[in-house]
Amino acid sequence: MEDEEFRATVREWLAANLSGDFAALIGKGGPGREHEFVAERLAWERRLGEGGWIGLGWPAQDGGRGLPWSQQVIFYEEYARAGAPGRVGHIGEQLLGPTLLMFGTPEQKARFLPGILSGTQMWCQGYSEPDAGSDLAAVRTRAELRDGEWHLNGQKIWTSLAHVADWCFVLARTDAGAERHRGLSYLLVPMSQPGVEIRPIAAITGTSEFNEVFFDDARADAGAIVGAPGDGWRVAMGTLGVERGVSTLGQQLGFQREFESVLAQARGNGSIGDPDIAARIADAWIGLQVMRITAQSTLGASPGTAPGTEANIAKLLWASWHQRLGELAVDVVGASATQTGPDYDLSDAQRLFLSTRADTIYGGSNEIQRNIIAERGLGLPRG
Amino acid sequence: MYETDSPEQAALREAVRDFCRQHADASAWKRLTGELGLTGLAIDERCGGMGAGLAEVAVAAEELGRVLLPVPYLSTALAGAVLSEGDPEAAAGLLPGLASGELTAGFVFTGDITVAGGRLSGTAGNVLDGGEAGVFLVRAEGGLYAVRAAAATVTAAGTLDQTRSQATVTFRDSPGLATGADGDRAEELMRVLLAAESVAAAEHCLDVTVAHLKNRQQFGRPIGAFQALRHRCADLAVEVSSARATARAAVAAAAFGQGDLGVLAPLAKRYCVDVFWHVAAEMIQLHGGIGFTWEHEAHRYLKRAKTSQLLLGTPGQLRRLVAHRAGLY
Repeated sequence: MEDEEFRATVREWLAANLSGDFAALIGKGGPGREHEFVAERLAWERRLGEGGWIGLGWPAQDGGRGLPWSQQVIFYEEYARAGAPGRVGHIGEQLLGPTLLMFGTPEQKARFLPGILSGTQMWCQGYSEPDAGSDLAAVRTRAELRDGEWHLNGQKIWTSLAHVADWCFVLARTDAGAERHRGLSYLLVPMSQPGVEIRPIAAITGTSEFNEVFFDDARADAGAIVGAPGDGWRVAMGTLGVERGVSTLGQQLGFQREFESVLAQARGNGSIGDPDIAARIADAWIGLQVMRITAQSTLGASPGTAPGTEANIAKLLWASWHQRLGELAVDVVGASATQTGPDYDLSDAQRLFLSTRADTIYGGSNEIQRNIIAERGLGLPRG
Repeated sequence: MYETDSPEQAALREAVRDFCRQHADASAWKRLTGELGLTGLAIDERCGGMGAGLAEVAVAAEELGRVLLPVPYLSTALAGAVLSEGDPEAAAGLLPGLASGELTAGFVFTGDITVAGGRLSGTAGNVLDGGEAGVFLVRAEGGLYAVRAAAATVTAAGTLDQTRSQATVTFRDSPGLATGADGDRAEELMRVLLAAESVAAAEHCLDVTVAHLKNRQQFGRPIGAFQALRHRCADLAVEVSSARATARAAVAAAAFGQGDLGVLAPLAKRYCVDVFWHVAAEMIQLHGGIGFTWEHEAHRYLKRAKTSQLLLGTPGQLRRLVAHRAGLY
């Protein structure tokens, strides 16, 4: 199918399906508003699966559609343009799925990929721990294989969407004697069991995007390990770049919508007449163009080549840009941005302002991105 | 998409790079034009040119800009490109000279120039490459006029950036040839070329700085191992990488009409030259005392960056221009 024909198909499907009950989901969910319409968004995931819109780039023999990156980008663009809701199944689709495609056994693929593709099985990521944030290799959650089952003990933190997830992919220490990233394994753990406790973390928005997950003799079956025991670090790192892949361009259309809403606010209340605000609005727009151009050049230049530091560069660019947009959003509103509705009900501008403080921390903080660029991109010596 | 060099562009880039390694001095002009034909890249072969286009001019401008070769390439090559888009008869007397490099050009976009009966009067300052220009291409009253330097009073100025001349040019009833070319487009193209050469220069500054940080030892280790410096270099790498993409998008708009040149040209000029300025300033800081010396090359890049930043639209002016053209306000 030609790209423009594909675009029309996507657009028609979204228009036809973001109707009825699903019409209420437009603009809902996503970072800063994960608490919104959770049950309805889970139903939307199933609708996406029925429509064949999950796993667009996955190989056909694994149940995907094998579409070229240009059409994957088109899907994300149209998805953002339609204001379709923030995904719940993206962790399975964009992180666990590609990991299984790369490292999983045929049995694991057959067992887990269909649930992701049909939008019926939700995943969360069990990487970070209280004492293993940027230093991920310091993971202390333990897993032991006893009587044909993995037994997990420990604590994960900053686990997005743990409360709706059916499964968690966990980086755990399976060889207590091994140092650092040796001795880690990549395990697939069901969330609905007595040994798993989830506690939401109230964030600075007052809502809960993230959770703590406690494993108290939680179980996973012996076959639920991706790669060999002790190979978990390589498996986890193998798909880390995927997190910042093709979805970048679609994400930027979301940014474009947010920018336009800030611009409309500035025009509406006259703050655009303030030279400082006007300059910041122009800079935000220029920054958006630069990000889009940079992302396009990355996609166009390196189809199928080994990832360099483009993903790290893109993350630094967008995280910092988005955070500045959040600051601009409340500055444009002015004094009334200091007041909330009842029960700490936040406006879009306030929510953007607060939630974007996390952008420069999660998914590899700005400082970690800089370390990677300095070492792998520029070849500077380690400190 | 103009994402990477075509094989021909890559060969051109390598040839210019190779040339710059061997002839990085002012006497390079003759060979650069005669042997390589760089000023004629965007001029038709019937007029003595190479029959390529603006994308190739940008490649040459980048490589000459990377080493700050002190030649009036930018204006002369741009004159060839712009006149080729105008009235062929008017250009016929100029293009062969520009292609051979015997005639050099300077563009006049500012000043209070008036036109009466085909004669130009008025004064313009800060004319880039104006010190040695043989012909001036003057935007005035909606047209682009060619005026021979002999018919004008040219006062070369001392310049902060000693690798690119400037002049104050005064016309007094000077005979001007209507070229039929688009003066406004010429200004945007100059901005695009400044953006492109700035990215190459910024790449050079970053390369040299990173090499220095790997080599220079203090406290018993290479200073590039200190995170305070590594992170600054990483930020520069992010800026240079995004500026590279932005300049290429602007060149694609200039050469192939992809995208809106009216927005992309000032946007790229502002972004890329600001990045160049930042990298050059950091180059001095990260080199320490040696970076402050006349002997080290860093100051020449800093001065080129500041000069490019303040000419053809300051950062503030270009920001407003982009905002207006994008319809923001």
